[in-house]
Amino acid sequence: MDAAHIRNFSIIAHIDHGKTTLSDRLLHRTGTITTREMEDQLLDSMDLEKERGITIKAHPVTMLYKAKNGETYELNLIDTPGHVDFSYEVSRSLSACEGALLIVDAAQGVEAQTVANVHLAMKVDLTIVPVINKIDLPHADVAQAKRQLEDILAISGESAILASAKEGIGIDEILEAIVERIPAPKPTGAPSVQALGFDSYFDTYKGVVTHVRIFNGELKAGMQVKLLHSGKNVEIKEVGSFNPKPYVRERLQVGETGYMTANIKSPQEVKMGDTITDARHPSPALPGFKEIHPMVFSGIYPINTGDYEHLKASLGKLQLNDSAFAYQSETSVALGFGFRCGFLGLLHLEIVQERLRREYGMDIIATYPSVIYRVTLTDGTVKEIDNPAYLPEPTYIETIAEPVVKVFVICPNEYIGDMMALITEKRGSVDHTETLDTRRVMLTGMLPLNEILIDFHDRIKSITRGYGSMDYDHAGYRESEMVKLDMLVNGEPVDAFSCIVHRDKAEGRGRALAAKLKEVIPRQQYAVAIQAAIGGKVVARETVGALRKDVTAKCYGGDITRKRKLLEKQKEGKKRMKSFGSVNIPQEAFIEVLKA
Amino acid sequence: MPVSSLYVHVPFCARKCSYCAFYSEPSSGELIDRYVGALIRELELVAADLRPRTIYFGGGTPSLLNLRQWERIIDAMERLRLGGAGEWTVECNPATVSLDKARLLRSGGVNRMSMGVQSLNASLLDRLGRVHTREMAFKSFDILRQAGFDNLNLDLMFAIPGQTIEVWRETLREAIAMGSEHLSSYEVIYEEDTVLYDQLQAGKVNADEDLACSMYEELVDCATTAGFEQYEVANFARPRAFHEPRGDRDGPLSLSLSPFEGERVPKAGEGLVDGSDARREAVAAINPQPSTLNIPTHACRHNVNYWRGGSFYGLGPSATSYVRGVRTKIMSNTQRYCEQVEQGQHAHDFSEELAPLARAGETAAFGLRMVEGWPFEQFRQVTGFDLRQEWAQDMAQLVKQGRGQILPDRFLLTREGLRFADSAAQLFLR
Repeated sequence: MDAAHIRNFSIIAHIDHGKTTLSDRLLHRTGTITTREMEDQLLDSMDLEKERGITIKAHPVTMLYKAKNGETYELNLIDTPGHVDFSYEVSRSLSACEGALLIVDAAQGVEAQTVANVHLAMKVDLTIVPVINKIDLPHADVAQAKRQLEDILAISGESAILASAKEGIGIDEILEAIVERIPAPKPTGAPSVQALGFDSYFDTYKGVVTHVRIFNGELKAGMQVKLLHSGKNVEIKEVGSFNPKPYVRERLQVGETGYMTANIKSPQEVKMGDTITDARHPSPALPGFKEIHPMVFSGIYPINTGDYEHLKASLGKLQLNDSAFAYQSETSVALGFGFRCGFLGLLHLEIVQERLRREYGMDIIATYPSVIYRVTLTDGTVKEIDNPAYLPEPTYIETIAEPVVKVFVICPNEYIGDMMALITEKRGSVDHTETLDTRRVMLTGMLPLNEILIDFHDRIKSITRGYGSMDYDHAGYRESEMVKLDMLVNGEPVDAFSCIVHRDKAEGRGRALAAKLKEVIPRQQYAVAIQAAIGGKVVARETVGALRKDVTAKCYGGDITRKRKLLEKQKEGKKRMKSFGSVNIPQEAFIEVLKA
Repeated sequence: MPVSSLYVHVPFCARKCSYCAFYSEPSSGELIDRYVGALIRELELVAADLRPRTIYFGGGTPSLLNLRQWERIIDAMERLRLGGAGEWTVECNPATVSLDKARLLRSGGVNRMSMGVQSLNASLLDRLGRVHTREMAFKSFDILRQAGFDNLNLDLMFAIPGQTIEVWRETLREAIAMGSEHLSSYEVIYEEDTVLYDQLQAGKVNADEDLACSMYEELVDCATTAGFEQYEVANFARPRAFHEPRGDRDGPLSLSLSPFEGERVPKAGEGLVDGSDARREAVAAINPQPSTLNIPTHACRHNVNYWRGGSFYGLGPSATSYVRGVRTKIMSNTQRYCEQVEQGQHAHDFSEELAPLARAGETAAFGLRMVEGWPFEQFRQVTGFDLRQEWAQDMAQLVKQGRGQILPDRFLLTREGLRFADSAAQLFLR
């Protein structure tokens, strides 16, 4: 297809505003899939995605559409992960497009996630086609949705297409608008092929399958190409597109979207956002490439120590389809052998843990998530610390900076006070407050990333009875009074509970952890002291009193087998306990605290 | 060599107590009759390999059987030449003791009664789901004395939810004042499938370990002050008889310790001690081998046999047997038990034979519950292993912790060690 008849676009929307339904409608209306094939949420191939209503992996789909002007167009829908945890992935996918459909729910209006995604789309200069969806709902308020588009996003409300993906209303108008409003791709004028690799997945037979968008020239099987940022030369084995199943094509031409395979065995070899060009006559790289780095870290351990190898294999498989996920082995005194894992954000962390549990049947426990701190030492060097265990002694530290995020919170008016209090409690500040409509406000503020890791989202949901929404964008680092909190059991630190926290919060956290540990550590033959300490200073203390006896009073002939088995089990259990000085603590106790 | 110890389980109760995990079911006259017939049939099956020196009827509630049913059992025992044991105990509930029944049992050869008093506090009896009152306990005790029993045990429970240390002390005082020859006392344990366990899980009751320990200490103090000698974690007996031995050939004072089946053991009185370790050592020196029966006169020989790894037959639903190293268990279902036995078959549904070292480890572990510990020579005779070789490190560890003591002829747990007998037992298991 010549470039003038190609349109590349994405759909951006808040969760549940109808992105998936609209995608399915477009596929159906263009005849890409038949009614029989129109399975709900076709694009979301992972169960977990369906369940959470989010798309984690982006799949480009090619549709052929005969427009009202009589000409046939190739429309490439490039799906994006909806969450800013994956903002780099989103921005790469958006970069592969010239335009985006922005879906706003007519009943709910603009939400926090909409704002964050529109900002990303504007950054890469996309033409935005606003769609007000669900106009068939009885409490739909189209006028208000239009006003919000203008007030919050500076997008003309009049240009919005009114639609109901569910009822099939407005679908033709949307398809026409894609053809009419979104610009056709233009060659860059570079001397040879330039293609953007914006995603990849792993296929057992083909190896890594890279999703590509051709910006200049063409790709076909047998070509020698260079991956500019990865610094790798490969021979293309196959190119093709998705409809939505992959099909082989002879070539991918300028403006087209599809995939390529090249005997690449590990997704790590292809960097997200890399430029693919001719190996002998390379063109310059396309703009916007970034190395992606995990933002959030957590230790993942098998609950049964014997599952270590299984966990290792599972993490390896998981990484094949998730190149943003990083891991390396680590050892914890409390939890044994496990892995330090890096994630793009909180949702990413939750998804990986959930997939390990469900898809790989792993019984795992995760330590408190940590962010990356920038530690400036007294000698002027700067260290990045993602594990409290590696934080240098306080005497060597000049300053510590922590990552902060720009947060958008949208909530009903009546909860604004509680919301401000929550943000203050989380060491954040509200920079401005915007009225969205008669019911809702949007707060924009700055918060430390580590404060939103644990329960921020849940708290917003509970404060607003489910009506609030939140999203965030990374906003660099700021200096902060961070300290390392250690939990000591009989004087020995328990690494799994060490954490870096703000000085003002250290004592409270220490107290809570000590109390929880006291609950779960079984009484021993000796007293167990539990302490929370900052530097050398103890800020909280609990004691588990010594057992004064360990004997079953009654024991007769009929009991002996049962009793012996019980004793054998206890003896076996003691072997699996972790020693802290003279104290033995079952791993289950630590797990109990981490679960809480 | 025939087995010299017999346990009979009587699986009927008027009502299930809230703490009880033993197998029992509500009594029905017809089923009890059928059970008695089956039991007699089962006695016939093992009689050839049985010459009981100790017999123990436990439950359930053996005293729930009526006069006619007891007569049938006693007649069968005599016919099968199983009677005349030196120690024949029957458990009873204070609510089901009558003078007629007590006299029948006494004349039939039963010479020891164990009464499940549990508590003498009215509201706690109620909480435990007991069918008897405190008054019944006093009255039944008198009836048993009147019927001629001179060897009585009282069972008491502590750490009952709601029981304070004061209530416990009062129960102990009143029970001791009754003047029994023997006292057994158990901490309430929360076993699965009991009402109490469910209440604990549901958070309706709390288990206070500190209080339970204080109650245990109180028990040991009160009982020993009153002249009882502790000979096992939870068992106390009078060191001397209130009455002279009746001179039976196999009277309680000259009963052999059954692991040495058929072997004569010096009369217990020769080796009696007051409980101090120094005295024990002296006794051990005088009677180097075989080891002296270092237990009080009124100790329950039947139970001692369990702790010493001796053989015993267990009959009746859910009963366990341990015969020459093989442990078997009868099914916990009276109906099916009767069907099997009536067809002349054993009704086992579990059997276990441990490797020699594992069996020795088990024997070591459970024998250490006894205050006198394990005489090395006796342990070697029972198990074929030497404690001083296989378990040298474990004993040294306990000595180092102040929980064990090695004497020239034996190893024993100290008073503190007895409070941690389960931890010690774990060490000895192999």
